[in-house]
Amino acid sequence: MTTTPFKDRPRIDAFDKVRGATAYAADIPVPGMLYAMLVPSVVAKGRIATLQVEDAINVPGVVRILTPDDFPPPPEPVRFPNADAPPTLHRDIAFRGQPIALVVAETLEAATEGAERVAATFETQPFAATKRSALAVREEARPTAFGDAGAALAQATMTVDVEYESPAQHHNPIELISTTAVWADGRLTIYEGTQFASGIKEVVARILRIDPGIVDVKSPSVGGAFGQKGWVQQQTAIIARAAMLLGRPVKLVTPRGQIFHLAKFRPNSTHHIKLGADAAGKMTGVHYVADQQQSRRGTFPPDYHAGPTRLYGIRNYYGGGLDYRIDTQPPGHMRAPHEHPACFAFECAVDELAYSLGADPVDFRIANDTRVDPQNGRPLSSRHLNECLSRGAQRFGWSKRTPKPGSMRAADGSLVGWGVASGIYPALVTATVATLRISADGTTRFTTTHHEFGQGIKTAIGAVLLDGLEIDAAKLDIVLGDTTAAPQQITAGSWGTFSVVPTAALAVERMRAAISELLAGRQVSGAIHQQLAAIRRPFLTVEVSLLGPGQDAAALERLRRGQYAVAGPTFPDFTAMSYIAHFVEVQVESTTRRIRMPRVVSVADCGRVVSPRTAVSQVRGGVVWAFGAALREVTEVDPRFGGFLNNDLADYVVPVNADIGEIDVDFIGEPDPVANSVGVKGLGEVAMVGASAAIVNAIFHATGKRLRELPVRIEHLL
Amino acid sequence: MCNDPDVAPEIPDNQLLVSRRDAMIASVAVVAASHFAASARAQTGPRQAALPVSVDQALIIRTSINGQTLEIRIDARTSLLDLLRERLALTGAKKGCDHGQCGACTVHIDGRRVASCLTLAGKVDGREVLTIEGLAGGDTLHPMQQAFIDHDALQCGYCTPGQIMAAVACVAEGNATSRERIREYMSGNICRCGAYVGIVAAIEDAAAKMGRG
Ligand code: FES
Ligand code: FES
Repeated sequence: MTTTPFKDRPRIDAFDKVRGATAYAADIPVPGMLYAMLVPSVVAKGRIATLQVEDAINVPGVVRILTPDDFPPPPEPVRFPNADAPPTLHRDIAFRGQPIALVVAETLEAATEGAERVAATFETQPFAATKRSALAVREEARPTAFGDAGAALAQATMTVDVEYESPAQHHNPIELISTTAVWADGRLTIYEGTQFASGIKEVVARILRIDPGIVDVKSPSVGGAFGQKGWVQQQTAIIARAAMLLGRPVKLVTPRGQIFHLAKFRPNSTHHIKLGADAAGKMTGVHYVADQQQSRRGTFPPDYHAGPTRLYGIRNYYGGGLDYRIDTQPPGHMRAPHEHPACFAFECAVDELAYSLGADPVDFRIANDTRVDPQNGRPLSSRHLNECLSRGAQRFGWSKRTPKPGSMRAADGSLVGWGVASGIYPALVTATVATLRISADGTTRFTTTHHEFGQGIKTAIGAVLLDGLEIDAAKLDIVLGDTTAAPQQITAGSWGTFSVVPTAALAVERMRAAISELLAGRQVSGAIHQQLAAIRRPFLTVEVSLLGPGQDAAALERLRRGQYAVAGPTFPDFTAMSYIAHFVEVQVESTTRRIRMPRVVSVADCGRVVSPRTAVSQVRGGVVWAFGAALREVTEVDPRFGGFLNNDLADYVVPVNADIGEIDVDFIGEPDPVANSVGVKGLGEVAMVGASAAIVNAIFHATGKRLRELPVRIEHLL
Repeated sequence: MCNDPDVAPEIPDNQLLVSRRDAMIASVAVVAASHFAASARAQTGPRQAALPVSVDQALIIRTSINGQTLEIRIDARTSLLDLLRERLALTGAKKGCDHGQCGACTVHIDGRRVASCLTLAGKVDGREVLTIEGLAGGDTLHPMQQAFIDHDALQCGYCTPGQIMAAVACVAEGNATSRERIREYMSGNICRCGAYVGIVAAIEDAAAKMGRG
C-alpha cells in the first residue's frame, strides 16, 4: 500500500455548484410537466370516511385528483422497509400527516389551491402520541452482553448511575424532498434526490406492480441527505402512479411542513447508564439500557451499543434496548443514528466518572485504551484514538485548563468551560461495481455504485483517478446514483467513500495494465487520451467489482438486485472502527447565561485521507451538527393531536452562521493496514459522534451543572 | 446502524400489473384514459414557458432578469422564486422552505438581497433582478464564487447560490468588515451541511478582492 498523502484539491463539483449550474432533482427540466401537491391527514389514527374532491377539481388548472381508489392494493404480505403505511395512498391512517390524496395541476399555484380544497372526514381511533401515553406498547430488544457487568459494577470502587435524554430531531437538509416521474416509451424514469436509487426502483415497482426492469431512478446531486433520503419516501410511488395515469411528467416538491410528518426522524431516546471503575482508574463494567420512541411497525432498532462497547477496553458490558411503540411515522437513521445519542450519554457519563475519581478527563480516556474489540476479542484493524486525544489536547492547549468547574473566565467575565469527548463509528463496507472508460477524444467517464450528497465522494473518487492516471481533469465525468449506469446501493453509514475509493483504485490499476498491454512496449508520449489516439483506439473500458473483507459472490448478487450488501464492522479477521476526539470551549455569559462555542479542535482517525479539503469540511459539518443537537434542535410532539408542532425552520432551530466559531480539524492520517487497499476508513458519521458530549462536558466545566437532557437551554443554567 | 437495513424487500414478481412487454401498450392506454387528455400535449421548452392555465388574476409584468428585459404574463399568486424556477428555467435559486426562513432562494432586486420565495413576482415589475446565473461574467467567476471554491465553503451546494448572493450583498452593504459581523449578517442563510467556517473565510477573502473589506 502506498502511504503518500493525497494532495489538496478543490471539490470536484464546486465549480458548477457556485454557479448554480448543478441540477438537483427538482431542477431537471422536463417538457410538459404537471405539478403535484399532497393532501395530508389531520388525524393521527383512523380511517378516511369521506373524501370530497369536487371543489378541488373545479380550481382552474387542476387536472386530476388521485385518491386511494387510484392505487392497486399493496401486494401481500405487506412488508415494506420501516413503513407504517405502505408508500401509497390508502384509507387507513397510521400517523398524522399521512397523505390521503394528491392534486395534480398545470401549475404549482393551482395544485396548491386544489390541495387546500380537498375535504375529508375521518373515523378516528384513540392513539398514543408519546412514549408515556397509555396506549404506548413497550417492547424489549435482544441485549448486547459480554463479561459480567453485574459483578464488575458490584466490585467497582467508583460508579456513576445516570440517565440522559436525547430528543426527537429531524434531518432538515435544505433540499426539500422532491420527486419527478416521467412515463414515456414504456419506461418509468424517476428523478429524486436520494441515497437509495436502487431501493426506489425495487419498491416503487413492487407497489405499483410493474416490472422493476422498466423503472430507472436517477439521483443527481443531492442537496443534503443525512439519512433522511436513505429511504423510499412516502411520496415516490404516488407521483410515479400519477405520471403513469396521466401520461405526462409529474413533479412534487414537498413542503417542509409536510416533510416533518412524512420523513423519518431521530427518535427521542433515554439512556440509563451505570459505569464503574476500579481503584487504578480502569473502567471495568457498564450496565446501559436505552429506550426510544418507536412507531407501531417501525424497524429502526433500539440498539445503541455498537459504539460504547468498543470505545474503551471495558470487559464487562450489559446493553439493553427498549421500544415504546406509538402512533407516529417510523423513526429512522439520522446522522450517526445510534452513535451520536449513545456517545453523548456515554461520554458524559465517562466525564462524570473521571471527575468522581479526580482524574483528568483526557488522561482518564487515554488510560482506558484497548487493542482488541472487547465484544469478541478480535484485533482492531487500526486504532489511533489515543493519538487523537493527545494531539487534540496539544492543539487545544488543554494543559492550561484548571479542572475546577467555574474556575476559568473570559476577558468579558463570561464563564469559560473546556470539555473533551471521544467518538467512534463502525467501518462498514458494501460491494461495488464500477466502469471506467477513457476516450481518445479527451473524455473520461467513471460510473459506479453510491450517491453524492455533499460528503465529497466524487472528489475522493476523482483524487484516486487523477492521482493514478494521466487524464484530462476537466473532462472527467463521475456518474453516481443512477440505476442505468451501475447497480446502486444505499449510501449511508459512512460506507460510500470507504467502499468506492478502493474500487476506483482497482479500476486505475486495471486501466494502467490494459494501457501498457495495448501499447506493447511502444513509447507514446502524452496523456492516455493521446496514447489512445496514437494507436487508433477510440476508447478503452475496464469494468471492476469489489467486495468487502469476508464478502462473497452473494453480496455482489444482492447488489445487482438492489438489495442490502453491507458488511462490518466485524470482519472475519478483525473489527474496523473510525475514531475522533473533540475539544470544545464554551463561554457562558454571566448574566444572560447565553452559551457560545468560540472554538473547537477535532482530530480524527479515519485512516488515510483521500480528499483533505472535503474531509475537513465533513468534520466541521459534523461538529456543527453536534452543536445543533446539543444546544438547539428538538422536534416537539403534539400530545393532543399527534404529529409535530414546530414543523418549520423558524421553530425547529438549526445552527446558523453566528452560532459557530472556529473549528480546527486535524487527521492522524495513518492508513488502515488491512481494511482495504487504499487504507481508508469512514468519516462523515464519526465526525459528529462525541462532539455533543464535549459541549455538555464543557458546560459542566464552565458552570458546575451536569445537564443530562438535550437540547441544553439558557433556562437550564439560570 | 448496520443491524437494520431498510432496504428493498424481496419482490414477489408474480402479480405485476405492467411488465416490460406490455409497458408500451399501457403507456398508450393510460393517456387515453386520462380525463384531461387535451392537456397531454407537449409544451414548448421550459425557458419562458407560457402560462399554461387561464387564471382570473393574471398580470403582465416587465422586468429585467440578469440584464435581459422580459415581458411575461403571470399568475398573480406566483412567487418570484417559482417564476424563476418553473417558468424561466433559472433553477440556481433554490427552494428550501418557501417561508423566508432559510435563504436558499436569495436573489438581488435592484442590488438588494431578498428572499425570492417571499417576494411576489408581480413586485419585480419595473425592477432589476440578479440571480446566481447572472453573477459571473461569462466564464470568469465572480471573486465570491472563486472564494467559495478556494475555501470549500460548501458541501451539498444546495444553499450555495443563496449564500453567494447574500455574501455579495453583505460585502456591498459594508457588513463584511469583521468575522463577527459577517457571521451576524450571514445568519439568514442556513447551511445544513455546516459549511459556516468556510463561508466566513470565503467572504473575508472575497471582500478584500472586491475592495470592500
Ligand atoms: S426558500 Fe426562500 S427563504 Fe427558504
Ligand atoms: S452546502 Fe449543503 S446546505 Fe449548505
